[in-house]
Amino acid sequence: MTPTVVELRGCTRDYGPVRAVDALDLAVQEGECLALLGPSGCGKTTTLNLIAGFVPPTAGRILIDGADVTDRPPHLRGLGVVFQSYALFPHLSVRENVAFGLRERRLPAAEIERRVGDALELVRLERAGRQRPAELSGGMQQRVALARALVYRPRVLLLDEPLAALDRKLREGMRDELRAIQRSVGITTIFVTHDQAEALGLSDRIAVMHRGRIEQLGAPREIYERPATRFVADFIGASTVLRGRAVAADRVTVAGATLVVTSGRPLAVGADVELAIRPERVRLSTGPGDNVLEARIEGLVYQGAQTDMTARLSDGQRVLLSVREPAPAQLAAGQTVRMHLPPDAFMVLMGEPSSPR
Amino acid sequence: MKLLLLPALVVLAVFAAALAALFRWSLLEFVPGSLQTGGLTLANLRGVLAPQYLGAIRDTVVLSALTTVLTLVAAYPVAYALARTPSRRVRSAILVLTLAPFFTGAIVRTYAWVLVLGNTVLAWPVPMLFTERGVLVGLVHFSMPTMILVLAAALSHIDPVYERAAASLGASPARVFRRVTLPLSMPGIVSGGLIVFAWTLSAFPTPELLGGGRVKMIANVVKDLGLDSFNWPGAAAFAMLALALTLALLTALGRLAAGRPS
Amino acid sequence: MIARLAVVALLAFMTVPTVVVIAVSFNPTAILSFPPSGLSLRWYANVVAYPQFRRAAVNSLLVTAAAAALALPAGTLAALALERGRLRGRSVWAAMLLSPLVVPGVAAGLGFLILAAGLGLLRSRSVLVAAHVALVLPFVVRSVWVSVRNLDPVLERAAASLGATPWRVFRRVTLPLLRPGLFAGLLFAVVVSLNEFVVSLFISNRVTEILPVAMFTYVVNYTDPTIAALSSLFIVVTFLVVWLADRYLNLAGVFLRP
Repeated sequence: MTPTVVELRGCTRDYGPVRAVDALDLAVQEGECLALLGPSGCGKTTTLNLIAGFVPPTAGRILIDGADVTDRPPHLRGLGVVFQSYALFPHLSVRENVAFGLRERRLPAAEIERRVGDALELVRLERAGRQRPAELSGGMQQRVALARALVYRPRVLLLDEPLAALDRKLREGMRDELRAIQRSVGITTIFVTHDQAEALGLSDRIAVMHRGRIEQLGAPREIYERPATRFVADFIGASTVLRGRAVAADRVTVAGATLVVTSGRPLAVGADVELAIRPERVRLSTGPGDNVLEARIEGLVYQGAQTDMTARLSDGQRVLLSVREPAPAQLAAGQTVRMHLPPDAFMVLMGEPSSPR
Repeated sequence: MKLLLLPALVVLAVFAAALAALFRWSLLEFVPGSLQTGGLTLANLRGVLAPQYLGAIRDTVVLSALTTVLTLVAAYPVAYALARTPSRRVRSAILVLTLAPFFTGAIVRTYAWVLVLGNTVLAWPVPMLFTERGVLVGLVHFSMPTMILVLAAALSHIDPVYERAAASLGASPARVFRRVTLPLSMPGIVSGGLIVFAWTLSAFPTPELLGGGRVKMIANVVKDLGLDSFNWPGAAAFAMLALALTLALLTALGRLAAGRPS
Repeated sequence: MIARLAVVALLAFMTVPTVVVIAVSFNPTAILSFPPSGLSLRWYANVVAYPQFRRAAVNSLLVTAAAAALALPAGTLAALALERGRLRGRSVWAAMLLSPLVVPGVAAGLGFLILAAGLGLLRSRSVLVAAHVALVLPFVVRSVWVSVRNLDPVLERAAASLGATPWRVFRRVTLPLLRPGLFAGLLFAVVVSLNEFVVSLFISNRVTEILPVAMFTYVVNYTDPTIAALSSLFIVVTFLVVWLADRYLNLAGVFLRP
């Protein structure tokens, strides 16, 4: 059982009347990479600031390696932080920036030199040592910030929107590099992001946050395929939400048809149910069969690798589907198509029922 | 469009004429006992360096340097509070307290120190009024608002994220100040220092009232020569000295400001 | 925590002399003492009664009013020229306009004295006014310039497109929008001129001297608290003006980056 490195117990943070973080409980395991994912205002950055000690909690405790650090100032928490703007000291060179934390720890000069060299090698910036931050590109600045935070081997690495400031081309490369570095160094990492692709691609676990609380905590695949609440289903990936009524523990009627739903959770007979399904799970069907619905195509958007379509069911509900190109048939708006919705592709939603779309 | 500058330029022309008159008279021979003058001479300018005046010049430079250093140390915490405090009310309070002495006028402020430094308010362990110590206190008090404003402006340009970053890297608040805040505020320190130094070199009411005749700075010499002895050429030479020193310092300041990447 | 105490202590250092002056002004006896042994308004009465102060106060008002009246339009036009004029060597013009700030008071004072003597104007207030206008002009230019910089020229173009002549545009659009800068400029001009001492010392005599010079003469010769009373009046008025200016003109914005 891997030990817990960072733990938040019942942490709340208020800013006047606004509750940014609401009685949050979180345990981060040794060596894992955890993403705090959510829209702006959900409390993810505040949570990071609580862990780092930049902001005190209104209530609750923060523990690192089992020790209560709630009252400890940031410079005594032994963490490494990479800020969204990188915050590289403009008056120091790259080497001096990276050496900063080591100098605070009073390491001998020779040791500092060696470690700075290693850290710069790790982020492939061995030759930038004498330059000033202003002379570096965004991607290079980020790598320096990373080296600076890692060089003194902190217990935990905190990253605030690590890929947000990079342009699209750099983002994927940097994401892979971050992943590789995190794995090779094995450091417990927590990062904040609003970008689900970033969260899905970088992390071992994702905490989806909404209004100061964690809506769901789990591995990326679980979050994507089995969202626990409507918010998570809405926020992660696109999905169609269908409203119907359960007629059996595993059967739901939607738009006059009966669908088999094998989501693992027995349904209450007679209850109103909301089912979500990802557009890429919906298949075009040639003939009648189980779990087939007819719908009229309303819109098509060609995307190269796939075509995204919206179609309307007989009861007015809209279905989103994604068909891989080349498509099996010529599709156009106004046509009627048959869609097969596999029984195991459904996600039964909890949470407030949505308003009609 | 240049026409719009005309009225202002007329005003400046009058000012320039005054300075030209000053320059010219610094080169005219002084005829004691009258306001007539003889011909062109460098005697006045040489007279500036006469032994009885060198003391005043040296005192001026020393006092100005001390004032600058002390003002810097005293103004920095106030400027930091002004630049960084999140509360609008605190910021307003500090600003009002900083600016009000600025606008209260030299006589009022100096007189206030005459009262405080004389033995009416407190019994001082050492005499303060009519000594160099007293003048120093008055000069520091006089320079505080300017230094606070210059430093606060410089500090408000420093993104607070740098201080957070330093803390996250293990630097205690004192270390954060020494390694990050102080170096980044250095341009403001230099600007403020040069401005205060230049200004203090020409200080008049403070040494005049608080010095009681025993502490003479360059400006006091100008007044003595000009208004008491009617030695306008001699006074003019000293005034030119003050002007030249001020211009030299401000040119240095201008060069530093231009050389710095913004 | 220590830092906060230090700041309070320093602000106290800046304020204590003011407090002492105001306290002493109420002292019933001529012997300066603190804390005052009682409360008396006799020194305030003395201020009003002393003929030289009355004359100097009138001089102050006249000179300041004249200086402001001349500096405000000159400075406003100059600020407009600097910002909109597309002048070559703009920074040189700006430096020139701000130069009186840099010249030591004794140098300017003596220079004006020599100039006035040469022109036979020693007994007139015109030299005083001329000097004050020059000393006050940089403040006006700076304040108005900030406002002009924030004034979007597209507004004036819009007014012109609606049929307003250049003069009407200036009167109905430009001037009203420049109001904050003009107000601040006027404020600075008045405060600086009312308190101007060093230059005025050189170029005024008993008849033309302004209030700060009269106060200086009094302090040098007498030691009673009359000056404390007059100073207190100055202080109270200034504090009020600065506080109001901060409240309505956002002084912090002028000096600090938001």
